Amino acid sequence: MAEKEAKKWGLVIDLDRCSGCQACVTACAMENNIPFTGEDEVAYGRGMHWIRVQRYWTGEYPEVKPDHTPAMCQQCGDAPCEPVCPVFASVHSEEEHINVQVYNRCIGTRYCANNCPYIARTFNWFDYEIPAPMNYYLNPDVTVRRRGVMEKCTFCVQRIKHGQDVAAAEGRELEDGEVMTACQQACPTDAIVFGDLSDPESRVSKLARSERGYHLLEELGTMPKVTYLKGGGYYGG
Amino acid sequence: MPKEPVHLAIFKEDRVDEAAEAVERLRNLGIADKDMSILSGIPYSEHILGRPVSWTRVGLIGLGGALVGFLIALALSFGTPTLYPIRVGNQPFWAIPTSIVVTFELTMLGLLISTFIGVFVETITPTYGPKGYHPKVSDGNIAILFTCPPELDAQMHAALNPLGAELVHRSEVKNL
Amino acid sequence: MAVDVKILGNSAKPAEHSEEDERHEHLMLDPKPREEMNRMVMDAMTHTSKRYWITVGVLAFLVAVCLFGAWGNMIATGNGVLGIRRPVFWGVLIVTFVFWIGISHAGTFVSAILRVFKAEYRRPFTRAAELMTTFGLAAGALYPLIHLGRVWVFYWMIPYPNARWLWPNFRSPLVWDFLAITTYLLSSTIYLYLPLVPDLAMARDRTTGWRHTVYKLLALNWRGTESEWHRLRKAIQIFAFAIIPVMFSVHTIVSWDFAVSQVAGWHSTIFGPYFIVGAILSGVSAVVTILFILQKTMKHMDYFIRREHFNALGILILIFSMAWAYFFFNEYILHWYGGEKVIEDILTAHATGPSAWVWYLMLICNVAIPWLTLWNKRVRTTPWLMAIITVLINVGMYAERYTIIPLTLGHQRMPFDWGIYNPRLTELLIPLGTLFLFILLYMLASRFIPLVPVWEVQEGQVAHTLRKVGKGKVPSVSELE
Repeated sequence: MAEKEAKKWGLVIDLDRCSGCQACVTACAMENNIPFTGEDEVAYGRGMHWIRVQRYWTGEYPEVKPDHTPAMCQQCGDAPCEPVCPVFASVHSEEEHINVQVYNRCIGTRYCANNCPYIARTFNWFDYEIPAPMNYYLNPDVTVRRRGVMEKCTFCVQRIKHGQDVAAAEGRELEDGEVMTACQQACPTDAIVFGDLSDPESRVSKLARSERGYHLLEELGTMPKVTYLKGGGYYGG
Repeated sequence: MPKEPVHLAIFKEDRVDEAAEAVERLRNLGIADKDMSILSGIPYSEHILGRPVSWTRVGLIGLGGALVGFLIALALSFGTPTLYPIRVGNQPFWAIPTSIVVTFELTMLGLLISTFIGVFVETITPTYGPKGYHPKVSDGNIAILFTCPPELDAQMHAALNPLGAELVHRSEVKNL
Repeated sequence: MAVDVKILGNSAKPAEHSEEDERHEHLMLDPKPREEMNRMVMDAMTHTSKRYWITVGVLAFLVAVCLFGAWGNMIATGNGVLGIRRPVFWGVLIVTFVFWIGISHAGTFVSAILRVFKAEYRRPFTRAAELMTTFGLAAGALYPLIHLGRVWVFYWMIPYPNARWLWPNFRSPLVWDFLAITTYLLSSTIYLYLPLVPDLAMARDRTTGWRHTVYKLLALNWRGTESEWHRLRKAIQIFAFAIIPVMFSVHTIVSWDFAVSQVAGWHSTIFGPYFIVGAILSGVSAVVTILFILQKTMKHMDYFIRREHFNALGILILIFSMAWAYFFFNEYILHWYGGEKVIEDILTAHATGPSAWVWYLMLICNVAIPWLTLWNKRVRTTPWLMAIITVLINVGMYAERYTIIPLTLGHQRMPFDWGIYNPRLTELLIPLGTLFLFILLYMLASRFIPLVPVWEVQEGQVAHTLRKVGKGKVPSVSELE
């Protein structure tokens, strides 16, 4: 396992293309067995979405315009959520260079969620029921979390692992674009690009080097792996 | 079991001067300091009663415990990340600033628990000196507990009675 | 030219502060025979009325329902019964946690710091204050368990070799919390126990039956010999000096739960001393409240607890209220001046948002009320007024922690994710439950151990005399050690 070179998975989100359709939110929920908490709970802020489309309204009526920013766990290189977990449930993967949430270790202190500047983490407040036959849609590659544990975007680590297994079985390297996150796969405008940032020739690396590129809350020094490309009249893009 | 009879000379709580004088007189009679013991309801300094300073190793035991706590803290802060390294937050495995917190707490815990254990152990270890007790001590009276050979009995009475001591003799002195 | 000299003030003979007044005012100058004081303390300890038992019964029932019932329901159902939500992941339970740890600083302040500074007025209530520390910690230490998502695996935070190949993360402030609170709880219980031993011996000599058996065991065969006293005094001295840095470290570490994070409004270097001063303010106020209740409900307490004690504690509370205001303003002005957008938003939300009344309540109770009342000696020596003022101060300190925790968490760097926190019923029941638990434990302890350290009171009385200086008699203290 340690012999192969470490990947550095990253995302690029082109805000010029994002239409705010929330297909990524839906796809992520389906892929990762995210429970439905109900309308009242979501209204109170208990929604479990790992990716959310932040919508800000700009302009004066009638020229009102929404700006959409899909935000998920930024898989920080210097993650504030990691050192504060008392039981090492939020740790850094040195192979995939992402932040890993270990559900089995989590005792639910929720310190990591408080310390995340991107407010990317969610908590299982209850055991959410998925009544039959709805439970047939659950993805067998992803754990169903019980109450009391934290969860967050994993860059679809199950798809990364699957892709690596396939490539290893076929005796070849993982190709760029072979592993697609659920949000990338569902996005109708191809606004989300996923890939290996440590490969300078990969599509995501080239896009990340764009002069339109910026990071969220860059001044905090968290070294996020998600690069946003300015566009749509937002942030001077 | 002392071979010589054990006596208690009880003084009322405001008669510190008489008690100190009594100690002096008993010493003059030839009763050694180690055969005397002062029981009191509040602590009286050794120099007030003219007595030698008693020993206690509680301080040393405390320091020893602090050292043990310190070593345990080092093992936890640096030993465990060495044995089971888990990367968090771009921080080094041996993080010194955070280890200072753990080290301080466990050192203090070691100091304080071992001080208590020292008190406890010293309390239950056998002591020299006459054994005996009288409940009047916890009512504030000062009691001089001493062994006195029978031949000095009359002199002892002559020395202590004028000072206003209440004398209790062996058969009445209760052991705890 | 002759100058007409006016003599200012009252030229009549100055009022004499008679010996009788001194004795009446100062416990240390009003000695009673030790036998009588012992009898008073034993009487207060063994006397229980119907009112007492009814209160204990009601409290026990309330603790069972509020604390264990509500907590049990939360364990069975999930943390969702609370009002916390994204992004306010810590709410009333953590606020109450910090509050109890703050209250627990009372005992150490009175019994350690005042002992080290040789403040003689501490003598009659050191044990009452130490009991507050022990039970405050007992109540507070429950909260890191209560607020957990999976409390049944809380023991994963304890460092011990295990089959999971995992040790706790010693870089996490929560693990520091665990170590610090354990250290403080154990040290403070031992520090309560050590000076208690001579009084337990006194109680052993004056009781029969089950009490006698228990006291005999706990009194460690205490006779009062010189070596026993020497050893005890040495141990108490070590404890008094060592428990002060432990006390500082505990609340500093609790403050670091917030300060080491990157949360805007929390990441401030002043949190350590700020929290410590707040804790001492909260704790000493709670001591005054408890002394008022003790004086009114326990027999003979009016001999031991006098107006001079309320006066002295009132001065301390005023000083600490000023210190708290200093630290609060320090933090506030730097945030206000700095111009960082998110901090400006937070300060605006605190002062003008929907929960602004909490912020104003904090300032009124912590600053305005003490500063307007406690400078006046007549106020400070009126126990019922002091009780009201100190309860209000603790309300203000609770509001301070509420402002710091949920109100700041709800207003971070992404306005889309701002959230308002609405506490729910469980978050009212559980803190009430721990309050009732505290009161219940205190009431039970007050009838189990002598509440007044009689040997320390007598020691102080022996050291105090009225000495003639000039034409007057002056209270003077000798160093008997």
